[in-house]
Amino acid sequence: METGRGRGDTLISMAEQPAISVAGLWQVFGSDAASAFRRAQDEGGSSRDIAGRLEERGYIPAVRDACFEVAEGELFVIMGLSGSGKSTLLRGISRLVEPTAGHVSIEGEDILAASKARMTELRRSRIGMVFQHFGLFPHMSVIDNVAFPLKVGGMGRRERHDKVQCIIEMVGLKGREGAYPRELSGGQRQRVGIARSLAGDCSVWFLDEPFSALDPLIRRQLQDEFLDIRARLNTTIVFITHDIAEALKLADRIAIMRDGEIVQIGTPADIVLHPVDDYVREFARDVVRGRHAKVGSIMRADDDRAANGTPGLRPDMTLEDALATCMAHYEPVAVYDDGGNLLGTVDPQDIASALKADCG
Amino acid sequence: MSASSESPAASMPGPPRGQLAALLTLVTGAACLLLQDYAPWMVRFPEAWTLPATELVGTGLDAVLSAIKPVMRAWSWLLSYPMSWANAVLVGSPWPLIIGAFTAAGWYIGGFRMASLTFLGFGFVLLSGYWSESMNTLSLVSVSVPLAVLAGGSLGILANEVPRIRAALLATLDAMQTIPTFAYLTPLLLLFGFGPVVGLVASAIYAAPPMARNVILGLERVDPEVKEASIMSGASRWQQLFLVEIPAASQQIMVGVNQCLMASLSMVIIAAVIGGFNDIGWEVLLTMRKAQFGQAFLAGLVIVIFAIVIDRLSGSLALERKRHDRRVTWGLLLSGAVGAALLALTGADTAPEGVFSAAAVAVDDSLGAFTATHGATLDGIKTSAMFYGLLPLRIGLDQAVLPFTWGFQWTPAMSLWLFAIAVLAGLGLAAAGRHMAGAGLVIAVGVVETGIAELPWPFVIVGTMSLAWVAQGTRLAVLSAALLGLVLISGLWDRALLSLYLSGAAVVACVVVGGAIGLLSAVSGIAWIIIRPVCDMLQTIPLFVFLIPTLMFFQIGEFSAFLAICAYAVVPMIRYTRHGLVSTPPEMLEAATSSGATPWQTMTDVRMPYAAPTILLGLNQTILYAFAMLVIAALIGTTGLGQSIYLALGQADVGLGVSAGAAMAILAFVADRLAQGFAEERRKALGL
Ligand SMILES: Nc1ncnc2c1ncn2[C@@H]1O[C@H](COP(=O)(O)OP(=O)(O)O)[C@@H](O)[C@H]1O
Ligand SMILES: [Mg+2]
Repeated sequence: METGRGRGDTLISMAEQPAISVAGLWQVFGSDAASAFRRAQDEGGSSRDIAGRLEERGYIPAVRDACFEVAEGELFVIMGLSGSGKSTLLRGISRLVEPTAGHVSIEGEDILAASKARMTELRRSRIGMVFQHFGLFPHMSVIDNVAFPLKVGGMGRRERHDKVQCIIEMVGLKGREGAYPRELSGGQRQRVGIARSLAGDCSVWFLDEPFSALDPLIRRQLQDEFLDIRARLNTTIVFITHDIAEALKLADRIAIMRDGEIVQIGTPADIVLHPVDDYVREFARDVVRGRHAKVGSIMRADDDRAANGTPGLRPDMTLEDALATCMAHYEPVAVYDDGGNLLGTVDPQDIASALKADCG
Repeated sequence: MSASSESPAASMPGPPRGQLAALLTLVTGAACLLLQDYAPWMVRFPEAWTLPATELVGTGLDAVLSAIKPVMRAWSWLLSYPMSWANAVLVGSPWPLIIGAFTAAGWYIGGFRMASLTFLGFGFVLLSGYWSESMNTLSLVSVSVPLAVLAGGSLGILANEVPRIRAALLATLDAMQTIPTFAYLTPLLLLFGFGPVVGLVASAIYAAPPMARNVILGLERVDPEVKEASIMSGASRWQQLFLVEIPAASQQIMVGVNQCLMASLSMVIIAAVIGGFNDIGWEVLLTMRKAQFGQAFLAGLVIVIFAIVIDRLSGSLALERKRHDRRVTWGLLLSGAVGAALLALTGADTAPEGVFSAAAVAVDDSLGAFTATHGATLDGIKTSAMFYGLLPLRIGLDQAVLPFTWGFQWTPAMSLWLFAIAVLAGLGLAAAGRHMAGAGLVIAVGVVETGIAELPWPFVIVGTMSLAWVAQGTRLAVLSAALLGLVLISGLWDRALLSLYLSGAAVVACVVVGGAIGLLSAVSGIAWIIIRPVCDMLQTIPLFVFLIPTLMFFQIGEFSAFLAICAYAVVPMIRYTRHGLVSTPPEMLEAATSSGATPWQTMTDVRMPYAAPTILLGLNQTILYAFAMLVIAALIGTTGLGQSIYLALGQADVGLGVSAGAAMAILAFVADRLAQGFAEERRKALGL
């Protein structure tokens, strides 16, 4: 099942209608930013020119002309240095701030046109959000925190407590229901944050650097549990991080942001193997490529050379593993899917050059 | 970024502006001195030029007040219900039940410590013989605090919800806190008529601002992620506010409730001056008037203990999360009830006669004996302080130096010599590069020679403008000049200068004494261990009580008032000085030490400059405290605006009361902005 959720180009074509689509989104800060933006836009030029003009006039174009689509069930990671506008982008999509210009739709609904009441309804039932510093309510116990979205939705106490019990179990907090946030460790707090965001049975899940405030060990553990939860629920996820390793580990696709701009969108392998510029390359530099790029990304499907079938590779193998398997071969090696059907071939030379590429 | 128009002080280099301002002040002063014989209007503002402000304000307000009077009387009628209920509960319940209930609350909130504090405190009140008076006071507080909490809380929430009115509201709160307490009483008296409701409403008005402030602060400080989490959970604005933000801010809000309680208690006691209710404040006033200082002292002590118990109780409600065993709470409550039942059975259900009244009489007697034997010494202290300190400050050396006190008569020639020496010394300082010190010296000499109450008005206004200009900029300069001008043409100028003189003298004394004590506390931990609880207590005591001890020893008069003001206003100076000095970053101290600085050099060259902004804020607080106390001190003899406000209360003269109150508020406001401006300027200069 996990492999079926194609990590790769297949995904885009698979989606009929994107779960989230963002087009031409601008978020400009400053007094009366909307008219300043309109003026700058009327003066023409590329989005870079417009942003430059706004900056000259003392405005902060925190998000510049963001465009992307997230397919249903996809895990879309937004990555960039701190201050690059990731949070602002996400807060625009969830309308925690009012975007200056652009278009956002979630599951076909125009979010920026939704009324206040409609937004409240959407947040209760369709959108969940997790915060970097947890954002737990200090005066509520774990179970009250988790059940809060149901409470504001008008559900009775008994019913909502019953309902969140399984979510609390899922995030591993069984037995801690009565504890207060101040009595929990960082990892446990974020589990509460995750559970609360899931209480409303959301279909769109936003996470803003959920693990950045945690110790590396706890972080890894939570990442794994996050992937487990994700496999169980069929939510569309936008996940923000500044950590390339986390992005590569989790993402179906990654969008890289710099100074408010999305500079590249691609699969983890794309990002590692084909960075569009030095900024992205710099990110990918510290990454052990072999561990993140998959065989599928360098496979040639239309290859008709005779392939060595003996070891047999699979498309979701990492390059590192693939290299170990076909170390001794000089000719292309066959790639099979789970059912044993031949998908294509991989040239060991390609593996080596992919691993070496841009190392200098 | 429009900072430049707000604070040009920051954008322009400091010295030239300061020097220019000092020069301007000096020139104005000199011109006034030189021209005083040719143009007497330059010294004393001619009466013909003033407007009958008090009458105008009086007729205007009278019209407004009588228009809204029916509504207010209805309010008064409404309020009398909860008041009589609270009174019936507190005065009507047998004392063991009340002590039991409060002790139980003390236990529940703060465990054994709070329970024993409450028990001992209330026990003392019982034994003092002022039980029913204290319960009367408590019933006023118990009605006024919910009112103030409700009003202040709603204002705070309103300011949070409607950001546009926030600035205006904060300014109003500022004003409400600078308007002297007695000044509200006069209009309220006209509106509500004699009786406890005036005290109730006055204390609710007085206690609402701290509540509002803390609500605003608390809501503002709620973690933004917590706010966003509640939005993203789908809470409506109403739900966000009441289910998340207010509970999350509860600690700060409880601090507000604590301040609200203390303010209310203080005001309820002050409101006793209008009489009509047999509460503990009235008792103090009555015994003071009858010169029964032992009794007054005892009643004052009851107030102090009351204040401490209420403060600590509500304070720990704000700070401690832990609640204690409920069974003990119920047990304490039950034992109170049993005690009450027993008392009822034995038929002695009234509070006992004071067991301390004998002690009070003894205190009276020994005080009498003390003043009889040491009267000469006390008088000596008082007269020397008056003749060599206060009087010259007030009317200047030229009039205060008389043969029978100083041993010689001041002559114009002496003035000339004094000025000549001062100018020479000032020039010397200026030549040595210390321009500001030089100008300051000449100005100070000029003030002492003339006397604050006799300063020419152009000098005061130009001087204040210059200070404001240096401290913050043109805007504050214009504003202060306009406000002072208002006082000038209202005909209250002379009284304002008298107030300025007494509070100025007290502030100077507080700066010297408080600064020294603060310094001592900063360098010696042991000193601070002793001084700190004294400061805590001085800040808990309602203003009114400060009058008792000074009156006991120095009788009615300006000196007693001066001492009472100092005792109250010195605390912030001590606290802020110490705090500023001990909060120097350790690495700065280490750097100084490793550069070979002696401890004293470290103190003067590193810690003091670093502490300057904090100390200036302390000065600011001290000034405000001094103004607040000045009006209360009118009860025991001050001149100036405080006296006018107090007299207006006695004569129910709204015009005088309100305009003198406004003049006082103007002085406090200008002084406050000046001190804050300087503190801000220092902080910027240090890059904090
Ligand atoms: N409310 C705001 N007002 C003004 N500037 C803001 C505001 N919120 C964010 N910014 C600016 O937008 C930029 C992007 O911030 P943010 O989205 O928080 O970055 P990231 O989440 O990638 O670290 C920053 O320069 C930040 O200072
Ligand atoms: Mg962020």
